[in-house]
Amino acid sequence: MAVQVSSQSPGPGAGPAPGAIAKRAETLFGAVGGAVLSLAETAGGMGVLFGRVVARLFPPQIDRNELRRNLYKMAVKSLPIVIVTALFTGAIMVIQAAPLVKRFNAEGLLGWAAGFGTLREIAPLLTALMISGRVGANNTAELGTMVVTEQVDALRALAIDPVTFLILPRFLSIVITLFVMTLYADILALLGAAYTGLALLKVEPVSFYNSVTAGLLGIGDVTNGLVKSVVFGFVIAISSCHFGLATTGGAPGVGRAVNACVVASATGIFLLDYLVSFIVK
Amino acid sequence: MSEELTPTQEAPSSFFWGNVSALGATAIELVVGARELYSVFVRTLYYVVRGRREKGVLLRQMYEIGNKSVFFLTVTMGALGMILVYQAGLQAARVVPDYQMLGATYLQLLIRDLAASLGSLMLATRVGAGIAAEIGSMVVTEQVDALRMCAADPIDFLIVPRFLASMIMTTVLVIWAGFVAFLAGAATAYFAFDVMPQTFFNARMVTSADFATGFAKCIAYGAAIPIVSGYCGLSTFGGSEGVGWATTRAVVNTSLAIIILNFFISSASFVIFAG
Repeated sequence: MAVQVSSQSPGPGAGPAPGAIAKRAETLFGAVGGAVLSLAETAGGMGVLFGRVVARLFPPQIDRNELRRNLYKMAVKSLPIVIVTALFTGAIMVIQAAPLVKRFNAEGLLGWAAGFGTLREIAPLLTALMISGRVGANNTAELGTMVVTEQVDALRALAIDPVTFLILPRFLSIVITLFVMTLYADILALLGAAYTGLALLKVEPVSFYNSVTAGLLGIGDVTNGLVKSVVFGFVIAISSCHFGLATTGGAPGVGRAVNACVVASATGIFLLDYLVSFIVK
Repeated sequence: MSEELTPTQEAPSSFFWGNVSALGATAIELVVGARELYSVFVRTLYYVVRGRREKGVLLRQMYEIGNKSVFFLTVTMGALGMILVYQAGLQAARVVPDYQMLGATYLQLLIRDLAASLGSLMLATRVGAGIAAEIGSMVVTEQVDALRMCAADPIDFLIVPRFLASMIMTTVLVIWAGFVAFLAGAATAYFAFDVMPQTFFNARMVTSADFATGFAKCIAYGAAIPIVSGYCGLSTFGGSEGVGWATTRAVVNTSLAIIILNFFISSASFVIFAG
Protein backbone atom coordinates (compact mmCIF):
# COMPACT_ATOMS: atom_id res chain seq x y z
CA MET A 1 0.00 0.00 0.00
CA ALA A 2 2.66 2.44 1.04
CA VAL A 3 4.82 1.57 -1.99
CA GLN A 4 1.92 2.18 -4.35
CA VAL A 5 1.16 5.51 -2.80
CA SER A 6 4.74 6.73 -2.95
CA SER A 7 5.10 5.71 -6.62
CA GLN A 8 2.23 7.97 -7.68
CA SER A 9 3.04 11.45 -8.87
CA PRO A 10 1.78 14.00 -6.36
CA GLY A 11 -0.48 15.78 -8.80
CA PRO A 12 -3.07 18.08 -7.25
CA GLY A 13 -6.69 17.18 -7.84
CA ALA A 14 -5.95 13.63 -9.03
CA GLY A 15 -7.62 11.69 -6.20
CA PRO A 16 -6.58 12.14 -2.60
CA ALA A 17 -3.10 13.48 -2.07
CA PRO A 18 -0.64 10.68 -1.35
CA GLY A 19 0.13 11.97 2.06
CA ALA A 20 -3.56 12.07 3.00
CA ILE A 21 -4.09 8.30 2.96
CA ALA A 22 -0.99 7.68 5.00
CA LYS A 23 -2.00 10.40 7.41
CA ARG A 24 -5.50 9.02 7.79
CA ALA A 25 -4.12 5.53 8.36
CA GLU A 26 -1.73 7.00 10.88
CA THR A 27 -4.47 8.71 12.87
CA LEU A 28 -6.63 5.58 12.70
CA PHE A 29 -3.84 3.35 13.92
CA GLY A 30 -2.90 6.00 16.43
CA ALA A 31 -6.45 6.04 17.80
CA VAL A 32 -6.65 2.24 17.98
CA GLY A 33 -3.23 1.99 19.56
CA GLY A 34 -4.06 4.74 22.02
CA ALA A 35 -7.26 2.98 23.05
CA VAL A 36 -5.41 -0.30 23.54
CA LEU A 37 -2.69 1.41 25.54
CA SER A 38 -5.16 3.18 27.82
CA LEU A 39 -7.07 -0.09 28.31
CA ALA A 40 -3.82 -1.83 29.20
CA GLU A 41 -2.93 1.01 31.55
CA THR A 42 -6.28 0.70 33.35
CA ALA A 43 -6.06 -3.08 33.60
CA GLY A 44 -2.46 -2.93 34.75
CA GLY A 45 -3.22 -0.22 37.30
CA MET A 46 -6.10 -2.28 38.72
CA GLY A 47 -3.89 -5.37 38.84
CA VAL A 48 -1.11 -3.56 40.69
CA LEU A 49 -3.58 -2.02 43.13
CA PHE A 50 -5.20 -5.41 43.75
CA GLY A 51 -1.77 -6.91 44.41
CA ARG A 52 -0.97 -4.16 46.91
CA VAL A 53 -4.30 -4.63 48.70
CA VAL A 54 -3.82 -8.40 48.92
CA ALA A 55 -0.24 -7.95 50.17
CA ARG A 56 -1.58 -5.90 53.09
CA LEU A 57 -4.05 -8.64 54.03
CA PHE A 58 -1.20 -10.99 55.11
CA PRO A 59 -0.92 -10.29 57.98
CA PRO A 60 -4.05 -8.09 58.08
CA GLN A 61 -3.29 -4.45 58.85
CA ILE A 62 -6.79 -3.00 59.07
CA ASP A 63 -7.71 0.30 60.61
CA ARG A 64 -10.77 -0.83 62.59
CA ASN A 65 -12.31 2.62 62.98
CA GLU A 66 -11.95 3.41 59.31
CA LEU A 67 -13.49 0.02 58.43
CA ARG A 68 -16.43 0.60 60.75
CA ARG A 69 -16.99 4.12 59.44
CA ASN A 70 -16.93 2.91 55.84
CA LEU A 71 -19.25 0.01 56.56
CA TYR A 72 -21.76 2.40 58.09
CA LYS A 73 -21.47 4.85 55.24
CA MET A 74 -21.63 2.23 52.51
CA ALA A 75 -23.94 -0.46 53.88
CA VAL A 76 -26.35 1.20 56.29
CA LYS A 77 -26.82 4.29 54.14
CA SER A 78 -27.50 2.20 51.02
CA LEU A 79 -30.37 0.28 52.62
CA PRO A 80 -33.18 2.49 51.25
CA ILE A 81 -32.16 2.19 47.61
CA VAL A 82 -31.52 -1.54 47.96
CA ILE A 83 -34.96 -2.01 49.49
CA VAL A 84 -36.71 -0.01 46.75
CA THR A 85 -34.75 -1.70 43.97
CA ALA A 86 -35.32 -5.20 45.31
CA LEU A 87 -39.07 -4.77 45.88
CA PHE A 88 -39.63 -3.32 42.42
CA THR A 89 -37.39 -5.91 40.78
CA GLY A 90 -39.32 -8.77 42.33
CA ALA A 91 -42.55 -7.15 41.19
CA ILE A 92 -41.25 -6.73 37.65
CA MET A 93 -40.17 -10.38 37.50
CA VAL A 94 -43.72 -11.46 38.32
CA ILE A 95 -45.26 -9.00 35.84
CA GLN A 96 -43.03 -10.37 33.10
CA ALA A 97 -43.92 -13.95 33.98
CA ALA A 98 -47.63 -13.17 34.35
CA PRO A 99 -48.84 -13.64 30.72
CA LEU A 100 -47.16 -17.07 30.52
CA VAL A 101 -48.49 -18.14 33.91
CA LYS A 102 -51.98 -17.05 32.93
CA ARG A 103 -51.85 -18.82 29.58
CA PHE A 104 -50.77 -22.17 31.04
CA ASN A 105 -52.67 -21.80 34.33
CA ALA A 106 -49.38 -22.51 36.08
CA GLU A 107 -50.05 -20.47 39.22
CA GLY A 108 -48.32 -23.10 41.33
CA LEU A 109 -45.06 -22.58 39.46
CA LEU A 110 -44.97 -18.79 39.81
CA GLY A 111 -42.66 -18.81 42.83
CA TRP A 112 -40.23 -21.08 41.11
CA ALA A 113 -40.31 -19.12 37.85
CA ALA A 114 -39.74 -15.77 39.52
CA GLY A 115 -37.41 -17.13 42.18
CA PHE A 116 -34.99 -18.83 39.81
CA GLY A 117 -34.17 -15.71 37.84
CA THR A 118 -34.25 -13.48 40.90
CA LEU A 119 -31.93 -15.51 43.08
CA ARG A 120 -29.44 -16.54 40.42
CA GLU A 121 -29.28 -13.48 38.24
CA ILE A 122 -31.40 -10.41 38.71
CA ALA A 123 -31.01 -9.73 42.45
CA PRO A 124 -27.18 -9.95 42.48
CA LEU A 125 -26.91 -8.06 39.19
CA LEU A 126 -29.22 -5.16 39.98
CA THR A 127 -27.92 -4.86 43.55
CA ALA A 128 -24.39 -4.71 42.16
CA LEU A 129 -25.39 -2.03 39.65
CA MET A 130 -27.08 0.08 42.33
CA ILE A 131 -24.21 -0.35 44.79
CA SER A 132 -21.77 0.46 42.00
CA GLY A 133 -23.73 3.64 41.35
CA ARG A 134 -24.03 4.68 44.96
CA VAL A 135 -21.05 3.27 46.80
CA GLY A 136 -18.52 2.78 44.01
CA ALA A 137 -19.11 6.16 42.41
CA ASN A 138 -19.15 7.86 45.80
CA ASN A 139 -15.90 6.17 46.75
CA THR A 140 -14.26 7.33 43.53
CA ALA A 141 -15.51 10.85 44.11
CA GLU A 142 -14.19 10.87 47.65
CA LEU A 143 -10.77 9.46 46.78
CA GLY A 144 -10.58 11.68 43.70
CA THR A 145 -11.32 14.76 45.80
CA MET A 146 -8.60 13.70 48.24
CA VAL A 147 -6.16 13.34 45.35
CA VAL A 148 -6.90 16.68 43.69
CA THR A 149 -6.82 18.53 47.03
CA GLU A 150 -3.46 16.82 47.76
CA GLN A 151 -4.69 15.08 50.90
CA VAL A 152 -3.22 11.78 49.70
CA ASP A 153 0.16 13.46 49.24
CA ALA A 154 -0.19 14.81 52.77
CA LEU A 155 -0.71 11.25 54.04
CA ARG A 156 2.43 10.15 52.23
CA ALA A 157 4.34 13.09 53.70
CA LEU A 158 3.26 11.89 57.16
CA ALA A 159 4.63 8.43 56.30
CA ILE A 160 1.11 6.94 56.36
CA ASP A 161 0.61 4.38 53.63
CA PRO A 162 -2.49 5.47 51.63
CA VAL A 163 -3.21 1.89 50.56
CA THR A 164 -3.33 0.63 54.13
CA PHE A 165 -5.14 3.61 55.54
CA LEU A 166 -7.57 4.49 52.72
CA ILE A 167 -7.89 1.66 50.24
CA LEU A 168 -7.91 -1.51 52.34
CA PRO A 169 -10.86 -0.57 54.60
CA ARG A 170 -12.85 0.69 51.61
CA PHE A 171 -12.08 -2.43 49.64
CA LEU A 172 -13.23 -4.74 52.42
CA SER A 173 -16.32 -2.64 53.15
CA ILE A 174 -17.46 -2.71 49.54
CA VAL A 175 -17.10 -6.48 49.29
CA ILE A 176 -18.91 -7.05 52.61
CA THR A 177 -21.60 -4.48 51.74
CA LEU A 178 -22.43 -6.09 48.44
CA PHE A 179 -22.58 -9.58 49.95
CA VAL A 180 -24.94 -8.53 52.73
CA MET A 181 -27.05 -6.35 50.45
CA THR A 182 -27.50 -9.22 47.98
CA LEU A 183 -28.83 -11.38 50.81
CA TYR A 184 -31.28 -8.61 51.71
CA ALA A 185 -32.22 -8.11 48.08
CA ASP A 186 -32.91 -11.84 47.62
CA ILE A 187 -35.38 -11.81 50.50
CA LEU A 188 -37.01 -8.52 49.60
CA ALA A 189 -37.32 -9.33 45.90
CA LEU A 190 -39.12 -12.56 46.75
CA LEU A 191 -41.38 -10.59 49.09
CA GLY A 192 -42.15 -8.06 46.37
CA ALA A 193 -42.77 -10.89 43.92
CA ALA A 194 -45.10 -12.71 46.29
CA TYR A 195 -47.33 -9.68 46.87
CA THR A 196 -47.35 -8.70 43.20
CA GLY A 197 -48.48 -12.25 42.46
CA LEU A 198 -51.30 -11.76 44.93
CA ALA A 199 -52.35 -8.45 43.42
CA LEU A 200 -52.00 -9.38 39.78
CA LEU A 201 -52.70 -13.11 39.52
CA LYS A 202 -54.48 -13.86 42.80
CA VAL A 203 -51.72 -16.28 43.81
CA GLU A 204 -51.68 -16.51 47.60
CA PRO A 205 -48.28 -15.69 49.17
CA VAL A 206 -48.42 -19.09 50.90
CA SER A 207 -48.60 -20.96 47.61
CA PHE A 208 -45.88 -18.69 46.26
CA TYR A 209 -43.71 -19.65 49.22
CA ASN A 210 -44.49 -23.33 48.74
CA SER A 211 -43.50 -23.16 45.11
CA VAL A 212 -40.21 -21.47 46.05
CA THR A 213 -39.35 -24.17 48.58
CA ALA A 214 -40.92 -27.18 46.84
CA GLY A 215 -37.61 -28.62 45.67
CA LEU A 216 -37.13 -27.15 42.22
CA LEU A 217 -34.99 -24.46 43.81
CA GLY A 218 -32.08 -25.45 46.02
CA ILE A 219 -29.52 -23.77 48.21
CA GLY A 220 -27.26 -23.97 45.15
CA ASP A 221 -29.26 -21.22 43.47
CA VAL A 222 -28.78 -18.91 46.44
CA THR A 223 -25.06 -19.62 46.75
CA ASN A 224 -24.66 -19.08 43.02
CA GLY A 225 -26.02 -15.56 43.43
CA LEU A 226 -23.90 -14.95 46.51
CA VAL A 227 -20.69 -16.09 44.78
CA LYS A 228 -21.53 -13.60 42.06
CA SER A 229 -22.06 -10.84 44.58
CA VAL A 230 -18.57 -11.38 46.03
CA VAL A 231 -17.01 -11.32 42.56
CA PHE A 232 -18.94 -8.14 41.71
CA GLY A 233 -17.78 -6.65 45.02
CA PHE A 234 -14.15 -7.19 44.01
CA VAL A 235 -14.79 -5.56 40.63
CA ILE A 236 -16.52 -2.51 42.09
CA ALA A 237 -13.95 -2.09 44.86
CA ILE A 238 -10.92 -2.30 42.59
CA SER A 239 -12.30 -0.13 39.82
CA SER A 240 -13.60 2.59 42.14
CA CYS A 241 -10.36 2.76 44.14
CA HIS A 242 -8.23 2.71 41.01
CA PHE A 243 -10.10 5.49 39.22
CA GLY A 244 -10.26 7.53 42.41
CA LEU A 245 -6.51 7.39 42.91
CA ALA A 246 -5.83 8.03 39.21
CA THR A 247 -7.84 11.30 39.19
CA THR A 248 -6.18 14.34 37.65
CA GLY A 249 -7.35 17.84 36.88
CA GLY A 250 -9.59 19.48 39.49
CA ALA A 251 -13.39 19.32 39.69
CA PRO A 252 -13.99 18.23 36.06
CA GLY A 253 -11.40 15.51 36.64
CA VAL A 254 -13.40 14.13 39.55
CA GLY A 255 -16.51 14.00 37.37
CA ARG A 256 -14.59 12.19 34.63
CA ALA A 257 -13.12 9.74 37.14
CA VAL A 258 -16.59 8.89 38.48
CA ASN A 259 -17.91 8.42 34.97
CA ALA A 260 -15.01 6.14 34.02
CA CYS A 261 -15.47 4.18 37.24
CA VAL A 262 -19.16 3.38 36.73
CA VAL A 263 -18.56 2.41 33.11
CA ALA A 264 -15.64 0.14 34.01
CA SER A 265 -17.57 -1.41 36.91
CA ALA A 266 -20.62 -2.13 34.74
CA THR A 267 -18.51 -3.69 31.99
CA GLY A 268 -16.55 -5.78 34.51
CA ILE A 269 -19.74 -6.89 36.27
CA PHE A 270 -21.36 -8.13 33.07
CA LEU A 271 -18.27 -9.89 31.74
CA LEU A 272 -17.56 -11.64 35.04
CA ASP A 273 -21.25 -12.48 35.46
CA TYR A 274 -20.98 -14.44 32.26
CA LEU A 275 -17.84 -16.26 33.41
CA VAL A 276 -19.26 -17.08 36.85
CA SER A 277 -22.54 -18.31 35.35
CA PHE A 278 -20.61 -20.81 33.30
CA ILE A 279 -18.08 -21.89 35.93
CA VAL A 280 -20.32 -22.16 39.01
CA LYS A 281 -23.25 -24.44 38.26
CA MET B 1 -30.37 12.05 67.51
CA SER B 2 -31.17 12.65 71.15
CA GLU B 3 -28.18 14.87 71.94
CA GLU B 4 -29.48 17.48 69.53
CA LEU B 5 -32.69 17.89 71.49
CA THR B 6 -33.23 20.25 74.38
CA PRO B 7 -32.71 18.70 77.82
CA THR B 8 -36.23 19.63 78.97
CA GLN B 9 -37.71 16.76 76.95
CA GLU B 10 -37.96 13.29 78.44
CA ALA B 11 -35.69 10.60 77.07
CA PRO B 12 -38.24 8.11 75.62
CA SER B 13 -40.40 10.71 73.96
CA SER B 14 -37.36 12.60 72.65
CA PHE B 15 -36.18 9.40 71.03
CA PHE B 16 -39.63 9.01 69.48
CA TRP B 17 -39.80 12.61 68.31
CA GLY B 18 -36.25 12.43 66.99
CA ASN B 19 -37.21 9.55 64.75
CA VAL B 20 -40.40 11.23 63.67
CA SER B 21 -38.59 14.44 62.79
CA ALA B 22 -35.95 12.51 60.87
CA LEU B 23 -38.71 10.76 58.93
CA GLY B 24 -40.47 14.05 58.32
CA ALA B 25 -37.28 15.72 57.14
CA THR B 26 -36.71 12.88 54.66
CA ALA B 27 -40.29 13.13 53.43
CA ILE B 28 -40.05 16.91 52.97
CA GLU B 29 -36.73 16.48 51.14
CA LEU B 30 -38.31 13.90 48.84
CA VAL B 31 -41.31 16.13 48.09
CA VAL B 32 -39.11 19.16 47.40
CA GLY B 33 -36.83 17.08 45.18
CA ALA B 34 -39.79 15.67 43.26
CA ARG B 35 -41.25 19.13 42.74
CA GLU B 36 -37.97 20.52 41.41
CA LEU B 37 -37.55 17.50 39.15
CA TYR B 38 -41.07 18.07 37.86
CA SER B 39 -40.31 21.73 37.24
CA VAL B 40 -37.17 20.82 35.26
CA PHE B 41 -39.27 18.39 33.21
CA VAL B 42 -42.00 20.91 32.47
CA ARG B 43 -39.52 23.65 31.57
CA THR B 44 -37.68 21.23 29.29
CA LEU B 45 -40.92 20.41 27.49
CA TYR B 46 -41.67 24.14 27.19
CA TYR B 47 -38.30 24.89 25.65
CA VAL B 48 -38.55 21.90 23.32
CA VAL B 49 -41.58 23.60 21.78
CA ARG B 50 -40.72 27.29 22.19
CA GLY B 51 -36.96 27.31 22.62
CA ARG B 52 -34.25 28.50 20.27
CA ARG B 53 -32.82 26.27 17.58
CA GLU B 54 -29.10 26.04 17.10
CA LYS B 55 -27.63 23.92 14.38
CA GLY B 56 -25.13 21.25 15.30
CA VAL B 57 -25.82 21.15 19.03
CA LEU B 58 -28.30 18.32 18.74
CA LEU B 59 -26.02 16.37 16.42
CA ARG B 60 -23.07 16.80 18.76
CA GLN B 61 -25.12 15.57 21.72
CA MET B 62 -26.40 12.64 19.68
CA TYR B 63 -22.79 11.76 18.91
CA GLU B 64 -21.80 12.11 22.57
CA ILE B 65 -24.74 10.07 23.86
CA GLY B 66 -25.16 7.62 21.03
CA ASN B 67 -22.01 6.82 19.11
CA LYS B 68 -19.75 6.86 22.13
CA SER B 69 -21.97 4.36 23.95
CA VAL B 70 -22.12 1.81 21.15
CA PHE B 71 -19.03 -0.13 22.15
CA PHE B 72 -19.93 -0.21 25.85
CA LEU B 73 -23.50 -1.25 25.12
CA THR B 74 -22.43 -3.94 22.64
CA VAL B 75 -20.05 -5.55 25.16
CA THR B 76 -22.47 -5.48 28.10
CA MET B 77 -25.59 -6.50 26.20
CA GLY B 78 -23.71 -9.25 24.37
CA ALA B 79 -22.55 -10.68 27.68
CA LEU B 80 -26.06 -10.28 29.06
CA GLY B 81 -27.65 -12.10 26.13
CA MET B 82 -25.32 -15.05 26.67
CA ILE B 83 -26.02 -15.15 30.42
CA LEU B 84 -29.80 -14.89 30.04
CA VAL B 85 -30.13 -17.69 27.51
CA TYR B 86 -27.77 -19.88 29.49
CA GLN B 87 -29.75 -19.36 32.70
CA ALA B 88 -33.07 -19.82 30.91
CA GLY B 89 -31.78 -23.06 29.43
CA LEU B 90 -30.74 -24.32 32.87
CA GLN B 91 -34.15 -23.32 34.22
CA ALA B 92 -36.01 -25.06 31.40
CA ALA B 93 -33.88 -28.20 31.82
CA ARG B 94 -35.18 -28.66 35.36
CA VAL B 95 -38.85 -29.06 34.35
CA VAL B 96 -39.14 -29.79 30.65
CA PRO B 97 -35.96 -30.68 28.79
CA ASP B 98 -37.32 -29.05 25.67
CA TYR B 99 -35.62 -26.06 24.09
CA GLN B 100 -38.07 -25.54 21.22
CA MET B 101 -39.64 -22.46 22.75
CA LEU B 102 -36.44 -21.00 24.21
CA GLY B 103 -35.85 -18.64 21.31
CA ALA B 104 -39.46 -17.54 20.98
CA THR B 105 -39.83 -16.76 24.69
CA TYR B 106 -36.48 -15.02 24.79
CA LEU B 107 -37.30 -12.86 21.78
CA GLN B 108 -40.63 -11.83 23.25
CA LEU B 109 -39.10 -10.98 26.62
CA LEU B 110 -36.29 -9.09 24.93
CA ILE B 111 -38.64 -6.93 22.91
CA ARG B 112 -41.12 -6.37 25.70
CA ASP B 113 -38.71 -5.63 28.50
CA LEU B 114 -35.09 -6.69 28.66
CA ALA B 115 -33.59 -4.85 25.70
CA ALA B 116 -35.14 -1.54 26.76
CA SER B 117 -34.77 -1.87 30.53
CA LEU B 118 -31.31 -3.36 30.83
CA GLY B 119 -29.95 -1.40 27.87
CA SER B 120 -31.24 1.81 29.42
CA LEU B 121 -29.79 0.89 32.82
CA MET B 122 -26.43 0.61 31.09
CA LEU B 123 -27.01 3.92 29.33
CA ALA B 124 -28.03 5.47 32.64
CA THR B 125 -24.64 4.70 34.13
CA ARG B 126 -22.67 5.95 31.15
CA VAL B 127 -24.79 8.80 29.82
CA GLY B 128 -26.31 9.86 33.14
CA ALA B 129 -22.95 10.05 34.88
CA GLY B 130 -21.52 11.91 31.89
CA ILE B 131 -24.32 14.51 31.81
CA ALA B 132 -24.18 15.10 35.56
CA ALA B 133 -20.38 15.36 35.59
CA GLU B 134 -20.37 17.82 32.69
CA ILE B 135 -23.18 20.06 33.96
CA GLY B 136 -21.91 19.76 37.54
CA SER B 137 -18.45 20.99 36.51
CA MET B 138 -20.12 23.87 34.69
CA VAL B 139 -22.03 24.76 37.85
CA VAL B 140 -19.01 24.75 40.18
CA THR B 141 -16.88 26.71 37.70
CA GLU B 142 -19.78 29.23 37.52
CA GLN B 143 -20.39 28.78 33.82
CA VAL B 144 -24.08 28.17 34.50
CA ASP B 145 -24.27 31.42 36.46
CA ALA B 146 -22.65 33.11 33.49
CA LEU B 147 -25.41 31.71 31.28
CA ARG B 148 -28.04 33.08 33.67
CA MET B 149 -26.26 36.45 33.60
CA CYS B 150 -26.73 36.47 29.83
CA ALA B 151 -30.46 35.90 30.36
CA ALA B 152 -30.16 32.39 28.95
CA ASP B 153 -31.97 29.64 30.78
CA PRO B 154 -29.52 26.78 31.42
CA ILE B 155 -32.38 24.35 30.80
CA ASP B 156 -32.80 25.68 27.28
CA PHE B 157 -29.06 25.59 26.58
CA LEU B 158 -27.94 22.49 28.44
CA ILE B 159 -30.85 20.12 29.07
CA VAL B 160 -33.02 20.46 25.94
CA PRO B 161 -30.39 19.25 23.42
CA ARG B 162 -29.50 16.34 25.69
CA PHE B 163 -33.19 15.55 26.19
CA LEU B 164 -33.92 15.34 22.47
CA ALA B 165 -30.67 13.54 21.67
CA SER B 166 -31.23 11.03 24.44
CA MET B 167 -34.79 10.21 23.36
CA ILE B 168 -33.65 9.53 19.79
CA MET B 169 -30.44 7.72 20.62
CA THR B 170 -31.90 5.60 23.44
CA THR B 171 -34.43 4.19 21.01
CA VAL B 172 -31.79 3.54 18.36
CA LEU B 173 -29.33 2.03 20.85
CA VAL B 174 -31.99 -0.17 22.45
CA ILE B 175 -32.82 -1.64 19.04
CA TRP B 176 -29.12 -2.31 18.48
CA ALA B 177 -28.78 -3.72 22.02
CA GLY B 178 -31.69 -6.07 21.48
CA PHE B 179 -30.18 -7.21 18.20
CA VAL B 180 -26.79 -7.90 19.83
CA ALA B 181 -28.36 -9.65 22.82
CA PHE B 182 -30.46 -11.84 20.55
CA LEU B 183 -27.49 -12.87 18.39
CA ALA B 184 -25.39 -13.60 21.49
CA GLY B 185 -28.29 -15.62 22.88
CA ALA B 186 -28.65 -17.58 19.64
CA ALA B 187 -24.94 -18.40 19.69
CA THR B 188 -25.16 -19.54 23.33
CA ALA B 189 -28.22 -21.68 22.60
CA TYR B 190 -26.37 -23.32 19.73
CA PHE B 191 -23.14 -24.03 21.61
CA ALA B 192 -24.55 -24.84 25.07
CA PHE B 193 -27.86 -26.57 24.29
CA ASP B 194 -27.52 -27.57 20.59
CA VAL B 195 -30.49 -25.44 19.54
CA MET B 196 -30.23 -24.75 15.83
CA PRO B 197 -30.43 -21.05 14.89
CA GLN B 198 -33.43 -21.86 12.63
CA THR B 199 -35.33 -23.07 15.70
CA PHE B 200 -34.10 -20.20 17.82
CA PHE B 201 -35.18 -17.47 15.36
CA ASN B 202 -38.84 -17.83 16.14
CA ALA B 203 -41.02 -14.74 16.22
CA ARG B 204 -44.30 -16.58 16.76
CA MET B 205 -44.90 -15.22 20.25
CA VAL B 206 -44.08 -11.60 19.44
CA THR B 207 -47.15 -9.41 19.09
CA SER B 208 -47.63 -5.75 18.34
CA ALA B 209 -48.41 -5.27 22.03
CA ASP B 210 -44.83 -6.29 22.85
CA PHE B 211 -43.45 -3.79 20.37
CA ALA B 212 -45.70 -1.05 21.76
CA THR B 213 -44.56 -1.77 25.33
CA GLY B 214 -40.90 -1.84 24.33
CA PHE B 215 -41.20 1.39 22.40
CA ALA B 216 -43.02 3.13 25.24
CA LYS B 217 -40.21 2.08 27.55
CA CYS B 218 -37.53 3.41 25.19
CA ILE B 219 -39.20 6.81 25.03
CA ALA B 220 -39.83 6.99 28.78
CA TYR B 221 -36.28 5.98 29.73
CA GLY B 222 -34.78 8.20 27.05
CA ALA B 223 -36.65 11.14 28.57
CA ALA B 224 -35.88 10.17 32.17
CA ILE B 225 -32.10 9.83 31.81
CA PRO B 226 -31.26 13.44 30.83
CA ILE B 227 -33.97 15.00 33.04
CA VAL B 228 -32.92 13.22 36.24
CA SER B 229 -29.18 13.45 35.67
CA GLY B 230 -29.44 17.01 34.38
CA TYR B 231 -31.36 17.97 37.53
CA CYS B 232 -28.65 16.30 39.65
CA GLY B 233 -25.98 18.19 37.71
CA LEU B 234 -27.73 21.56 38.02
CA SER B 235 -28.19 21.16 41.78
CA THR B 236 -24.44 20.65 42.31
CA PHE B 237 -22.75 22.71 45.00
CA GLY B 238 -19.35 22.74 46.63
CA GLY B 239 -16.33 22.22 44.40
CA SER B 240 -14.88 18.97 43.17
CA GLU B 241 -16.46 16.99 46.00
CA GLY B 242 -19.84 18.34 44.91
CA VAL B 243 -19.29 17.18 41.34
CA GLY B 244 -18.53 13.70 42.62
CA TRP B 245 -21.67 13.72 44.74
CA ALA B 246 -23.79 14.97 41.84
CA THR B 247 -22.48 12.23 39.56
CA THR B 248 -23.17 9.58 42.18
CA ARG B 249 -26.70 10.83 42.74
CA ALA B 250 -27.30 10.97 39.01
CA VAL B 251 -26.36 7.31 38.53
CA VAL B 252 -28.44 6.12 41.48
CA ASN B 253 -31.50 8.27 40.79
CA THR B 254 -31.54 7.55 37.06
CA SER B 255 -31.30 3.80 37.69
CA LEU B 256 -34.07 4.02 40.28
CA ALA B 257 -36.20 6.07 37.90
CA ILE B 258 -35.79 3.41 35.21
CA ILE B 259 -36.70 0.57 37.58
CA ILE B 260 -39.77 2.41 38.87
CA LEU B 261 -40.89 3.45 35.36
CA ASN B 262 -40.41 -0.15 34.27
CA PHE B 263 -42.72 -1.28 37.05
CA PHE B 264 -45.46 1.12 36.04
CA ILE B 265 -45.18 0.63 32.28
CA SER B 266 -45.04 -3.16 32.65
CA SER B 267 -48.09 -3.22 34.91
CA ALA B 268 -49.98 -0.89 32.58
CA SER B 269 -49.12 -3.03 29.59
CA PHE B 270 -50.19 -6.18 31.43
CA VAL B 271 -53.49 -4.61 32.42
CA ILE B 272 -54.15 -3.15 28.95
CA PHE B 273 -53.04 -6.03 26.73
CA ALA B 274 -53.44 -9.19 28.80
CA GLY B 275 -55.82 -8.37 31.62
